[in-house]
Amino acid sequence: MAGMTTIVRTISRLLFPFMFLFGVYVLIHGHLTPGGGFQGGVIIAASVVMLWLAYGLAQMPIGFKLFRTEVLEAIGGLTIVAVGVVGLVVGAGILGRVLPLGTLGNLFSAGNLPLLNIAVGIKVTAGLILIFYAMLRKIAWDEK
Amino acid sequence: MIEIPSIMAIILPLFGAFLTPIVAFVSWRFGVKRQICGWFAVAIIVATLAIVASMIPAVLEGRILIYELGRAPPLGINLVVDGLSLLMALMIAGVGSLVAVYSITYMQHHTRLDLYYALLLLIITGMMGAVLTGDIFNLYVFLEITCVSAYALVAFERRWESIEASIKYLIIGSLGTSFLLLGIALMYGGFGTLNIAHIADLTRRLTGPTPILGLALSLFVAGFCVKAAVVPFHSWLADAHPAAPTPISAFLSGVFVAIGAYGMLRVVYVMFGTLAIGPLLAALGLASMVLGALMALVQRDIKRLIAYSTISQMGYIFFSIGLGTEMGIQGGLFHLLNNAIMKALLFMCAGVIIYRIARRNLDEMGGLGRCMPVTAAAFAIGALATAGVPPLNGFASKWMIYMARVEAGGLNLVAVGVAVLISAMTLAYLLKAFASIFLGQRPKHLENVKEAPPLMLLPICLLAALCILLGVLPQLGVGLARPAQEAAMQIDNYVGSVLGGV
Amino acid sequence: MSLNYVVAMLLIALGLYCLLLKRNLIKMIIGLGVMTDGIHLFLTSLGYREGGIAAIVTGEMLENTAGFATQAVDPIPQALVLTSIVINICIIAFALSLAVWVYRHYGTLDPSEIRRLRE
Repeated sequence: MAGMTTIVRTISRLLFPFMFLFGVYVLIHGHLTPGGGFQGGVIIAASVVMLWLAYGLAQMPIGFKLFRTEVLEAIGGLTIVAVGVVGLVVGAGILGRVLPLGTLGNLFSAGNLPLLNIAVGIKVTAGLILIFYAMLRKIAWDEK
Repeated sequence: MIEIPSIMAIILPLFGAFLTPIVAFVSWRFGVKRQICGWFAVAIIVATLAIVASMIPAVLEGRILIYELGRAPPLGINLVVDGLSLLMALMIAGVGSLVAVYSITYMQHHTRLDLYYALLLLIITGMMGAVLTGDIFNLYVFLEITCVSAYALVAFERRWESIEASIKYLIIGSLGTSFLLLGIALMYGGFGTLNIAHIADLTRRLTGPTPILGLALSLFVAGFCVKAAVVPFHSWLADAHPAAPTPISAFLSGVFVAIGAYGMLRVVYVMFGTLAIGPLLAALGLASMVLGALMALVQRDIKRLIAYSTISQMGYIFFSIGLGTEMGIQGGLFHLLNNAIMKALLFMCAGVIIYRIARRNLDEMGGLGRCMPVTAAAFAIGALATAGVPPLNGFASKWMIYMARVEAGGLNLVAVGVAVLISAMTLAYLLKAFASIFLGQRPKHLENVKEAPPLMLLPICLLAALCILLGVLPQLGVGLARPAQEAAMQIDNYVGSVLGGV
Repeated sequence: MSLNYVVAMLLIALGLYCLLLKRNLIKMIIGLGVMTDGIHLFLTSLGYREGGIAAIVTGEMLENTAGFATQAVDPIPQALVLTSIVINICIIAFALSLAVWVYRHYGTLDPSEIRRLRE
């Protein structure tokens, strides 16, 4: 996978922080506005994949560790299960609400939902990045 | 507290699947042996088996355990454990734990074992969820979890054979699940609910079949036939099951195909109770019985031969379920249980041979009986049980199937004749395989073959013992199959307990 | 809104056609995606309501719950479709990566030539 031209590289590098930030926004406002863990995670992963496509795997401007990403994905999944089991232990039922509801419209409200959204976001981000990494690496390997 | 086991049986393998990469990471950091992942998976699955087993007494008393997620049904999703779900869950966890033990030795030379065990745990999660849930969309989601893990496990070895089998399996399998999704969409459009019991309640109040109901029924039947590998949707099985790593072949062939029969009973007999498609199922079963046996006769590859035998045995199960009488469904469910034991046993024996001599072609084997006597004996027991020779478990369940058909009389007698003939053919091809593996001259390249490692012999011996035990004391198996049959047929009871008199 | 259903059925038929009759693995996988999208469109259309509002609870909606229930579109199909989309992403990503492997082993994507198992 060779990278693309300077124009593409520069623009994607400039866009990257904004896309990343937008993804985080969608993720943590999941319980208030349309969107949520999955959508936010996809946007974050897309920002990383955009950089890969522009620069190629070899010249990536940000670091990437395969194994750490896998562990991150596992941690995302574990968090979902853990939040579910905590609800079960407390007596609210699986995935039941443990944290207080708060007032409608505040960022810190809606009980466990923000936590679940963040966990899903981590898992989706790591998972999609891994999917694209596997494919890009395979293609890069074939081109050699 | 009594309702908690059902949800824990799903959560625990899921938890284990996510924890496996972390266990691998930690063991890599601290230099522990790689087998730790395997033992971790074994521990998780055995714990799941214990959880499932803890529900046996309550269910055998005739109670239906219901766990509500969120609201009461039909608003919330609920888990329902009755006899049918319990039988399936026991099969999944039981065969699953033996397969995990078997994998520790069989898979030790492979790379990325953490992914292998994570996928094995995910497949168990998905199947547990699919059999325990009482919500039809939930069933679809869990089925997809199972299928995606199965596609990945079939392709795990990444040889040309596994890749080709996996892509074929993926295309046919996704087509099947798409049918299911479309059927579920139609049911939601028609009834505005996704709860199986609620839909069953609503369909029973209809005066006659409506076009939407007919279309949804045909979609469901097609979808579950793909999962059960019944003719004409059987072609993927003979490719996919042999291409997987052998422990996975045992799991897929023993338990995974059973999900199709489970779906038939849950969806067809509970949701569409009024519409009769029994004869169609029986005809499809008869066709796959004959075709599977005919194809198995000409195979030279040991794993393909056993895979075709699976198609044939699934034919028996559908042949029996299609009758729709008490005895028929009981026999079918008993045979489902026996098939799981026999197929896992046969595949594991084949796995031992492949592990020791790294060959799958029957023509290149011979005379192994003297160097691996235990494996030979176990394979013989599995082969005789599959063919239905007394006093083994296959005989007990096949006898029930024949008796149920004979009771119905008429044209059924001809069908029973065909089924007996196919049993003889089963004996023929399995004994042929036995003879060419274990008897005769030993070729030069097989001089120093040793008996299987103890960790692989343990599950084999357990399964062989189960074959004999269920054959000598068939009431043990029937004791599990009868509550399952009652759960499948007493729809009023199911609907009443889930909806709680709504 | 019968147009929705017509388009959904067209998409399903088109996807099935692609999946079953195209002689290229990538096109078959695209067909699989198109077919599932047709089913998704069908599911979302089931929850449609003429002039309905999005099923998002805001401050003013809390005071008028009865009005909200009669005005909002059915959120269940949307949740189902979202779940199904996620599943579909996994399947298509996995299928495409398998296609890459198939190309590496066989040097072609024509399914009629990917049949060494049958020989």
